[in-house]
This record gives sequence, C-alpha cells and structure tokens, in this order.
Amino acid sequence: MKNIRLLLVDDEDNFRQTLAKRLAKKGIPPEQAENGEKALSILEKKEMDVVVLDVKMPGMDGIEVLRHIKKKHPGTEIIFLTGHAATQDGVDGIKRGAFDYLSKPVEFEHLLSKIKQAYDKVVREEEKLREAEFRKKMRQQMATTEKLASLGTLAAGVAHEINNPLAIINESAGWLKLIINRAEMAQMPRKQDFEMALNKIETGVDRAKRITHQLLGFAKKDDSVLVEINFRDMANEAAQLVHREATNKDIEIVQEIEPDIGTIWSDPYQLRQVLINLLTNAIHATGSGGKITIMIEALNGEINLTVQDNGQGIPTENLDKIFEPFFSTKPPGKGTGLGLFVTRGIVEKLCGTIEVKSRLGHGTRFCIRLPRYCEIKEDLDQDERIPFLDNIAKQKGSTQ
Amino acid sequence: MIKIPTKVLLVDDEKDFIEMLSLRLTEVGEKITVAYSGQEALDTLEKADIDVVILDIKMPGMDGIETLREIKKQFPLVEVIMLTGHGSTETAVEGMKLGAFDYLMKPADFDDLLLKLEGARKRKDEQQERIRKAEAKLLVRKSGGIFS
Repeated sequence: MKNIRLLLVDDEDNFRQTLAKRLAKKGIPPEQAENGEKALSILEKKEMDVVVLDVKMPGMDGIEVLRHIKKKHPGTEIIFLTGHAATQDGVDGIKRGAFDYLSKPVEFEHLLSKIKQAYDKVVREEEKLREAEFRKKMRQQMATTEKLASLGTLAAGVAHEINNPLAIINESAGWLKLIINRAEMAQMPRKQDFEMALNKIETGVDRAKRITHQLLGFAKKDDSVLVEINFRDMANEAAQLVHREATNKDIEIVQEIEPDIGTIWSDPYQLRQVLINLLTNAIHATGSGGKITIMIEALNGEINLTVQDNGQGIPTENLDKIFEPFFSTKPPGKGTGLGLFVTRGIVEKLCGTIEVKSRLGHGTRFCIRLPRYCEIKEDLDQDERIPFLDNIAKQKGSTQ
Repeated sequence: MIKIPTKVLLVDDEKDFIEMLSLRLTEVGEKITVAYSGQEALDTLEKADIDVVILDIKMPGMDGIETLREIKKQFPLVEVIMLTGHGSTETAVEGMKLGAFDYLMKPADFDDLLLKLEGARKRKDEQQERIRKAEAKLLVRKSGGIFS
C-alpha cells in the first residue's frame, strides 16, 4: 500500500494536517493542497492515483476541481468530502465521475478503506488499458503476418508461373546466340546489334530468374537441419562473407558478443542467411567510414541478435513496408526487394521475432530474438499461421 | 575432335520450351527426341535408343516423379535429369533418391545443363562398359567350363 500517490485537498488547515499525519502513519504520506488551484498545479507536476477533495472551498470549489482533474488526468480517482448532511453535493460528484463521497466528520478507518478501494480501481483500469493496448498490438501483428503470408503464397505462385515463359525466352535467346556465332554467320549484317540485344535479353532473364528463385526459395518446403550453433563462429563467418564489400566502403564491422553466450540449436544455413541479409542491408545503408555492430546477448533464456548501423536510417513511413515482398528503395535491378521479406520468414520459421528501430540520419537497428531451442516449423503455407500465435504468447509471457 | 552426340529425350508439357531447348541442344550437336507427357516419354523409350532423359517434374497426368519411377523400372540404364520450375529441392532430392542423375532449376543455365548432360551420359557409358565386361567374364567362365 506504500506506493499509493495521494493528494489531500482541503482549506481547513487543522483538519487537513491531522488527516495527513494519520495517513502517513498508515504508510500513505499524502501531498497537500489548501485550495483547488494549488491542487491542479501539483497534479500538473506529479501524477496522482487518488485525490481526496473537499467540496466546499473558497475560490474554485470541489466540483470545478473535479471537472478539471477528470479532463486532464482521467486515470486519477477522486473521493469527495462533503459537509454534514450535504448529500446532494456527494451525489453530484459521483455523477460527474468521482469514485465516492464521505460526509464530514470523517471516520478515519472508513476513509482509509475508501482510498484503498479507489486505488485498486486505478490499478485495475491501468491493467485494462495495458491489456487493450496489447490486444491492439497483437491484432496488428497478426494482420501483418497474415498479409505477408498470403503475399508470400501469391508471390511464390507467380514466380512459379513466370519460370516457364522465362525458360522459353532463355532457350530462344541462347539458341540465336549459338546460331550467329557459327562460322557461316561471320559476315552477317548488323551482327553486333543482334549480339548486343541478345545479351540484354539474357541479362534480363538472369535478373528475373534471381527474383523467382529467391521467392521460391522462401516458399520451399522445409528441409532444415537442426544443429548446435556457436554464435562467435557464425558471426565471424557472416562478417567474413561481407568483409570485402564493407572494406570497399571503408565500413568497420564490430562484434560485441557476450563471452559466455553459449550455443543454440537452429538451422545454421538459414541463420547465416539472416545475418548476411541484415549485414548487406546495413552496408548499403551506411556511408563511407560508417560502423556496423553485431551484438549478441543472452536474455531470459533467449538470444538477442542485433545488427546496428549508423547509416542513413529508414523513414517512418517506410518502416511498416520494409518486410513486404518487392519493397525496395534501391534502383531497379539492384535489389530484389525480397531480402527482408525472406529474412522475416526465416526468423519466424526458427521460432523467433524480428523488430526494427530506425532514426533518419542516425542509423537502423534490427533486433532478432531466438529461443535456444526451436522445433522448426513446417513452411508458412496457407493454414500454417498458428505458430505465430505461439510467438505472441511467448512475448506476452516475457513482458509480464 | 568429333563430338559423339548424346541421345537426349526432352519431356515437358511446355511445347515452346521443348521446341527451343531442343533447337539449342541440336545446335551444339546433341541428338534430340521430344515427348510432351510422361506416357509419351515411356512410349518413345520403348522404340528409340536414348542415353539421357531430361524430365520436367510438373506435368499434368503422369507427373515427373511417377514417370521417373516407370523409366527406372523399365529402362534402368537410361539416365534421368530432373527439371523443375519449382524451388522445391525436396522433390528433386526425392527424384535423385529414386535414381535420377541430377536436377536443374528452370530456367536452367545452359552450361550447367551441358555439364550435367555430359555427366549423365558418362555414367551411362561407364555402367554399360561394366556390364559388357561382366558379360564377357561370364562368357569366358562359361566357355572355360565347356572346354575343361
């Protein structure tokens, strides 16, 4: 009960001070105000759980103060103190949102129990609010996951259908190239134009092929293997793989790994893919002389894997879109717009969660949480969205 | 050096694809026969002498895996390369467990295709060579039996 924040408002100094002393003895030392204006100014500076408020005061009266408090501090509960036999004041107060009223002279034990009841209500309301917020967040997350899952299914379907015509184009162009390179075609008019155009077709096919294969790679059936993974080795390996690209831009890659981080059971190839995707993105987003940090730490039996850069950052309006397939800010042909989409898919398959925080001009931080052991799920197909709920349940568990 | 053509059977329901790939492979000196379904492929194998079958996994009617099973049952020496427009390596791996030589993803890299074609052809030749030698040995032993 010690943490009840209580404000006592009464213009009778004697009465107020005596009450305050007795309350302090019971472990609830209250703030005091001798009039309504003072009470409001105290509330401006410090949130209160419960206000015990005299109705009859010179200047701003109790009802007026109540109105202000309810407007500005809806979470605060108010107990009215009314004059003897002035029941109407108390009823008015309750109508306007007071928790309850007590008539003077006040019986101390009665007041104390009312304060506690009011405080309990404050706590309940706060919990309700938190829960509502959590539910809202969960609904949003589920909507996002479902959207991504159906987008993924659609994209994989499209990719599959595109591959066949792509193969036809590929073979046709390849065949023509073979023909114009034959000896008897050496004197062919405008041969160079043909060669140039055929090469363009092949480059275009390659580009489309990269996209379709990446998409199908994401949607592919589960052939993961679970092994015990040493984080230090994996971070080293991933950093090594992007080393050249980083060095070219004079970017430093720093590893901050807890010394006794231990191991986790997961799919090494997919996890490495995740790390490389994030590192590559970080390199692209970071200017010359920048710095990228890989942080790995243990937290509540889970592993926190963070990739942070001090690059250009992601504009707020793009933050919800970066995990969608084909969203890319890179010039055409440079990025497939699938890197983060695939990354998120993998992380969720490995029972993890991924979050992003970014500040424009300051950098971006991707945070992945993974359990130490995960029974890898089947692919995120049509009706396979339930695992995500498990993740939510886990998140809920860890925030409480 | 004169190239000995590999006798290839292309199986896919995508007619345009088959047509173009067959033109391209013919251009580099392979001998191509085509079939547009699994059943047609089996019928062709009955009649024609084929080294390697390039087989699409996804076909209406008898699909690639089923066709592969039948090929391996009826013509165990014929090598099969699976072709898939699907990212699913799983089906391809299943195919290889059933005796396919290798698999390719559509659209396939042509050099890659030629390399695998050559590998498949080589495996078939070697196997035939071993069978021929074994038969010869058997013959010697048998005829030895007669003379002793």
